[in-house]
Amino acid sequence: MSVWPSPAVPRPLQQLFDRVPLLTYDANVLPARSQSATSSRLPTLYVFSTDSDARLGAPSYNPGCLKWQTFLKLARVEFQIVPATNHASPTGALPFLLPARPSPSASASASASPAPAPVSSARLQKYALEHGQHKPAEQTPTLRLDAYQALLDVPIRNAWLQALYLEPRHAALLDRLYVAPASSSRWVQATLRHQLRRAAEAEILKTSSSAGGSASATPILVDESAMYAGARDALDALADLLAESETDWFFGAPSPSLFDASVFAYTHLMRRLLDGGADGEGEDLKIPARLGALVRAAGTGELERHQSRLLEMLWPGESLSGR
Amino acid sequence: MLQLHVWGPAFGLPSIDAECLAAIAYLTQTTSRAEFRLVQTSPSAVPTHHLPALHDPSTDTWASGFAPITSHLRAHPPPSFHDASPPRHADSTAYAAFLTAHAAPLVALSLYVSSANWAATTRPAYSAILPFPLPWTEPPAVRAAMGRRAEHLGMSSLDTDAEASAAESGQGRGDIAGGAGGWVHIPAALRRAPRSVKDALAPEQAARIRLDGLAKDVLNVLSEVDWEAGEPRTTAAARCLAFAYLALMLVPDVPRPWLRDTMRAAYPRLCEFVETFRWECFPDGGGEVLPWSDGKASGSSSSSSVTRGSGGFLGVGARFAQGLIFDIPGIGEEWHRWLARRKRRAVRQSGDERQIQLSKGSDALVVTASAGLALLAANIGVFLYRAGGMPSFGAPLHSWHMPMAGLSGLGAAGALFSGALGRRY
Repeated sequence: MSVWPSPAVPRPLQQLFDRVPLLTYDANVLPARSQSATSSRLPTLYVFSTDSDARLGAPSYNPGCLKWQTFLKLARVEFQIVPATNHASPTGALPFLLPARPSPSASASASASPAPAPVSSARLQKYALEHGQHKPAEQTPTLRLDAYQALLDVPIRNAWLQALYLEPRHAALLDRLYVAPASSSRWVQATLRHQLRRAAEAEILKTSSSAGGSASATPILVDESAMYAGARDALDALADLLAESETDWFFGAPSPSLFDASVFAYTHLMRRLLDGGADGEGEDLKIPARLGALVRAAGTGELERHQSRLLEMLWPGESLSGR
Repeated sequence: MLQLHVWGPAFGLPSIDAECLAAIAYLTQTTSRAEFRLVQTSPSAVPTHHLPALHDPSTDTWASGFAPITSHLRAHPPPSFHDASPPRHADSTAYAAFLTAHAAPLVALSLYVSSANWAATTRPAYSAILPFPLPWTEPPAVRAAMGRRAEHLGMSSLDTDAEASAAESGQGRGDIAGGAGGWVHIPAALRRAPRSVKDALAPEQAARIRLDGLAKDVLNVLSEVDWEAGEPRTTAAARCLAFAYLALMLVPDVPRPWLRDTMRAAYPRLCEFVETFRWECFPDGGGEVLPWSDGKASGSSSSSSVTRGSGGFLGVGARFAQGLIFDIPGIGEEWHRWLARRKRRAVRQSGDERQIQLSKGSDALVVTASAGLALLAANIGVFLYRAGGMPSFGAPLHSWHMPMAGLSGLGAAGALFSGALGRRY
C-alpha cells in the first residue's frame, strides 16, 4: 500500500486493459541437461564435449580439457562432465571444476556457508591430489621434465592448432566440434570460424620460431611443412624418452603421472580425430595434417602403445573410432 | 654457393637475432667458409619473409628458420659439410623446443620490452644495420612482435613508453573535464604527485625479484645440460641454438642488465660456455672475418650490402612502402598476408621457369600497388591532420588563454557593446 493515493486510471485506458487480459506464465523449467548439474552431489568438470559424450564421460575433444579429465580420472576423483564453452568459465578458459556442493540439509543448518568457488585449471592438480582416492605418481622434480614439457607446449601444440584450425582438409571437423554447437546462424558461424582461425594463427605465430614469429618484422604466415617436421621430431623425441624409461610410463614412474596425461591428451586426439587411416591412405606421411599417422610412426610405436594402454586403463571399452 | 640471409651484426655478435646467430654458428662450424656467403638483410627482402633464410642454388630452394636450415643442410650437404654429432637426440630436440619456448621470451623482455634497453641499445643497433628509411618501419614491428612473445610473462610494466602514453591520454581527458569546470587549472608539470619509494625505482628494479625468478626458471633448466662439444646427448645444432640465446642474454651492453647480472652471479658455467663457444666459432669475437657478401661486416657502413642484396634503392623503397602499409589499421595486415602468400607460392614453384617470369612481371605490379596504397594512406593522414582530427605533434600541448574579463567575455553581444563604448579588450 502506498503512501500517496493512487490516481484513478483514466477510463479509456481502463477499458483497454479490461479488453486485454493479463496472463502470467509459469516459470520455465530448467533444461533437462542442467538437472544433473544442479541436483547431483558430484563435482562437475566443465569441458568441451558433446551432450552424448558428456553423459557417458567420454574423452573430451579439446587437448587442454582432456589432459585434466585424464588426470582427475588417474587420481580417481569422482566427477561428472558437463559440456560448456569458454564463456561459461570464470577465468575465460576451460576446463574448470565446480566442487561438490554441500548437501541440502547441511546447507540448511549452516545457511551462511557460501557456494564452493570454482577451481580453475591452474589449481586442478592440487584439487585432484586432495580429493582423489589414489595419488598419481609424483613427477620426479627433474628439470628435464620442463624441457620435455616444452615439446608439448610448442611444436606439438602448434601442429595441432595448424592441423585442426587452419588446414582446409579439416574444416568440416572444426565446424562439427567448435562452430556448429555454438550457433545455428550461418553468419554467426562464419564469424566464429574466422575468429577461431585468426586466434589459432596468432597463437602459433606467437610461440613458434619457424613461422616468422620470432624476428620477422611482420609475422604473417605459418610455414606448414616446417611445422609438421617439428612435430614429427617432437613426437620422436617423446617416443625415445618413453623407450628409455624402465616402466610403461614416462620418467620411469610406477604409475602414470600428469606428464603422461598431457601426452595422452594430444596423442589420443591426434589418433582419433586427425588420422584418417580409414580412407585407405595408409601410412603415407606426405599428406599434411595427418598427425595421427605421425603418432603411430613415432619411434617404434611407443607413443601408440602408451596411448592404447592409458585408454584401456581409464576408458575400458572405448575404441578409437568412437561413435 | 649457399647464401645465408640474416639480420646484421650487433652488440659485437654476428647477428642481432638469436636464430640467425645460431644458423651462422652452425654453418661456420660445419661448412668451409669458401662455400657459403652471408647476406645481411631484413625479412621483408627475402621471399619467405622470415630470417634466417638459406638459399641453395643447387636445388634452387629456400629454407627458412633454424631447424629447417639444419635439416636442409643434412639432406643436401655441401661438399665440405661435416657434422659429427648424431643427427638427432631426444634431449636435444627437447632443449631446442625449450629454448624457443622459454629463452626467447626472456631475451625479448631484456632487449625489446624494457624501454630503457630498447632505446639505448637495441634500437640504435637496428638503425645501424638497416638502410635508411627502413629503421622507421621495421624495428617497431619487431618490437611489437617480441612484445607479443613475452606477453604471457606479464612483465609489460618494463615498457614505460606504453605506460607514459596511456598516462598522457588519460591526463588529456582529465584536462578537458577540468577545463570545463573552471578557468584556472594547474598544468601537470606543476602539480605535485605523491611519490613513493616504488615510483622512484626503475621498473626493472621494482620487478627485480620477479625478473630474477623468471630468469632462474629458464637458466636452471639450461645449466643442467652439459653443453661441451663431444657430449653425445647434445647435437651441434642444439649447442648452436643454446649459444645464440645465451649470448644475447650475456653479451649486449644494456643499461638495465638484470639478465646478465643474474647469469654472471648464479650460472658461471653457462657464461663460460658462451665465452668459449664464441671465441671458438668467431675467433675475432664479432665475426668480421665471416664471408659477408660484400666483404665487410661492420654495422655502420653496411647499408650497401642490403641495398645490393635486395635490388637497389627501388627495392628498399618498396620494402619501406610495405612497412608503411602494414601500419594502416584494418587493411595493412590483410595486404601483408596476401603478399606473403603470393611470394611464398612463387618460391615453392620457382623450379618452373615460367613461374619466375610471371612473378617477376607482377613484382612491378606489387611495387606500384604498394606505393599507391602508401600514398593513399599518406593522403588520408594529411587530410585528417588538416581537418584537425589528429592531435598536433609534440603533445602534450598546453595553451593558456587569459580569462576574458569585461564585456568581450559576453561573446557577440559583448563585442557589440564594446564597440558602442569605444573600448577594446
